[in-house]
Amino acid sequence: MPQASDPAIFWFNGERDDIVREVAERVAEDHGRSVGSLELALNDCAMTEMRRLDSQGDDEARRDLGKWRALSRQLGRMSEGEQRKAIREVTHRFAEDVAGNFDPRVYRMSIRAVPKLLATLMQPSQMPRALTAGQSVLDRLLSVEGETEKIKGLQQVGSVVYVPTHSSNLDSIVLGRALEQAGLSPVVYGAGKNLFTNPIISFFMHNLGAYRVDRRINASLYKDVLKTYSQVMIERGYHSLFFPGGTRSRSNLIENHLKLGLMGSALSAFAHNQTRGVDRKVFFVPTTINYALTLEAETLVEDWLKAEGKARYIIEDDEFSRLDRWVTFLRKILGMQAACVIRFGAPVDPFGNPVDDEGCSIAPGGQAIDPASYVRRRGRPTLDDARDAAYTRDLGEVLVRRFRHESVLMSTALVAHVLWRRIVAHSPRADLFSRLRMRGEVTMSKEDVVREVAELRDRLAELQAQGEVRLNSWLAEADPEAIVARALRVWNGYHTRMAAKDLGREIVAEDPTLLLYYQNRLVPFAVDVCGSEHERAAQEIAQLGVLK
Amino acid sequence: MIAPIPSGPSAAPGELPPVGVVGGGGFGQALANAMIRRGRKVQLWSRRRLELEGVESTQELGELKRSELLFLAVPSPYVPETAEELGKHLDGEHLLVHVSRGLIGDDLLTLSGVLRLRTAAHRVGVLAGPLDAEALAEGEPTGAIVGSRFPEVAAAVREAISSETLRIYESRDVVGVEIAAAVVGYLALAVGMGQQLGVSPATVAVALNRGLAEAARWAPSLQADPATLYGLAGQGDLLAVAGGDDRPEVRLGRALATGASLEEAGKAAGAHIEGVTIARRVDAHARKIGEATPVAGMIADVVEGRRAPTDAMAALMAREVGTE
Repeated sequence: MPQASDPAIFWFNGERDDIVREVAERVAEDHGRSVGSLELALNDCAMTEMRRLDSQGDDEARRDLGKWRALSRQLGRMSEGEQRKAIREVTHRFAEDVAGNFDPRVYRMSIRAVPKLLATLMQPSQMPRALTAGQSVLDRLLSVEGETEKIKGLQQVGSVVYVPTHSSNLDSIVLGRALEQAGLSPVVYGAGKNLFTNPIISFFMHNLGAYRVDRRINASLYKDVLKTYSQVMIERGYHSLFFPGGTRSRSNLIENHLKLGLMGSALSAFAHNQTRGVDRKVFFVPTTINYALTLEAETLVEDWLKAEGKARYIIEDDEFSRLDRWVTFLRKILGMQAACVIRFGAPVDPFGNPVDDEGCSIAPGGQAIDPASYVRRRGRPTLDDARDAAYTRDLGEVLVRRFRHESVLMSTALVAHVLWRRIVAHSPRADLFSRLRMRGEVTMSKEDVVREVAELRDRLAELQAQGEVRLNSWLAEADPEAIVARALRVWNGYHTRMAAKDLGREIVAEDPTLLLYYQNRLVPFAVDVCGSEHERAAQEIAQLGVLK
Repeated sequence: MIAPIPSGPSAAPGELPPVGVVGGGGFGQALANAMIRRGRKVQLWSRRRLELEGVESTQELGELKRSELLFLAVPSPYVPETAEELGKHLDGEHLLVHVSRGLIGDDLLTLSGVLRLRTAAHRVGVLAGPLDAEALAEGEPTGAIVGSRFPEVAAAVREAISSETLRIYESRDVVGVEIAAAVVGYLALAVGMGQQLGVSPATVAVALNRGLAEAARWAPSLQADPATLYGLAGQGDLLAVAGGDDRPEVRLGRALATGASLEEAGKAAGAHIEGVTIARRVDAHARKIGEATPVAGMIADVVEGRRAPTDAMAALMAREVGTE
């Protein structure tokens, strides 16, 4: 039995049926305002589902295809009452499929088990010791920084929505662990239904409040159910997590094109509560997840570079699905302190205003501001989709700026940037793909690499002092030679291709594609940190920022 | 704990809230008069006390917090400081609309961006297009456009000033509308120069059209839709300029073409001209992103006295011709 002081999610299972009902009813009502809208929504849903299931041809198709065909046949003859009943059945079915679970026992068990499991994977030969030392190993690997104390206070006065950058399928795991490590409440989050097929992670997903997002379903009714589910959870005070980039950053560029749908649901939750007289605040926490080594780097960057990249929105055959790649990955980063840095940035209200420790929104002039005033017109809170869409777009722009400032740069980004910059300087007038083919063609003396890394680090430190970016704490203090050695050590042996080869006195840019991927984190700062010597190359690199 | 702002806009039950105008220049006064004619209550702030019939005149910006919609009708260099002072009295319920053609600094920050950064009001917009103070005052048939991401801002402007002689269009592309207004501001200088030099309408048409086309290449770098340049705030307003509306920018262009210094030409124009410095900053911005803006560059050269208008025209005509 949960305690009264436990966060809302501990009570989820008791409320689950009620939430599913509320979501299904709201979506059905929204579409039921006119008869034409009802028929249109049902017809669109039946057609898109029949098309999907036809092409799947699996157990799900055998189970459900007949139902949709029957609905499609009967739709034209249905009375308004029958259509209303049908839409409620569909939205209820979708809401049931989406709704997650939260089992406090599994949560507590996972807190203990996950670190040990990971530690064992890293050091299988020392299993008994690893099983007891799991916690400290993980804590050493994972560095959590930022506004955690403030967020703890905000959790008490409103719904907290974490909006992190997204690089890897490991993100939700490390973020879950980071929240626990920082003493913050667990969150509800949408996870691709494909992840539920991963044997390692499915058990935890099923029991830790993850709700299922089936990206194969294109019906607008389903998308409405997803958004409404998220909205209802936030209205009820559940802390949430969205990846506003929508999918993992293929390029490793800091996200600058955000998908606003789920973010909009948080804003609608705030406005909806206000119209009902419920003054529950909503806070967004821009969060960056920063890896020295990305588990799926090779697949992601190849996907970015392929013209058909967009078609592979759901990648099911990447490194994340292969246990041997996990083991190699984890062993590789074992020796590194802070190989992954999670930074919780300064929280903002749904309108992008900063908030103080008590959750009061602060106007640009420094005075307190009532966030409810943004959804009021002529003194009364109102619901207005067009207005809220505009606010969400504004908020997206605030978050993009925050991501840039809260990014934590790692040794691999710095060393890759120096090598990529040399490739660019070495090949004036060449296009991106010509440069990517220059495998092993560009060499730098190690002395030059170390010198340029040192200069780059010092210039980034100046930007850090102005609040423009963050450097990994180890990097800020480290000897430049050690930075280079660490990056080479991290890359080589994990990726199937060697990013850069150490020949003693020289370093060869062995795989430009991987170097491009790791250096992309630095693209927004390339011109600011280049110095006159590298200005032309830096300006070319900065142009990468306009690519998606 | 910081004390909250006491209140937002207010009105007696059943009444519409007043509309605020910040700035007592010609356009600010014309706006106030137009709204009074429509039966709205108007508060007008200006540095010097103004007596306008039916208008609540004030020198305290804080008084304007009772208004729901506020027009900022001050020249763009004064917008940041005015917004900062005004911002102390506003909350999220206020709607802010500026009427300036300015872009601020080397990054060409739009004034809607300045309002967002300096005030708590987020429902902001811009009023642009061929509407001028004279047409507003005399009720001549004309039109204008409100750029705002928020439909309720355009609706509030319509409610305040639209009439049987004033059509108010709207665009969600607020930055595009602001850029279009700024571009028209410096292209109007070229119209004045052309008039003074006695060039043919065809020459003016080519310069204006190419000036818009080059703007359409750099505008997306500021998240604007280039199509907006060909709407009422851009091409529509340029047609009014070319048709001879004799706005201050045109007068300034004519004076410059006589060989007058910028200072002398400014006096002849009799108003603050935003386009004087924008053309140079636009040219610098475009270079930074790898785009060419020969028309803006030449206008800037003439304004700064680096080239005679005839030389500028010859240099433009000598450029290599490309596909459109």
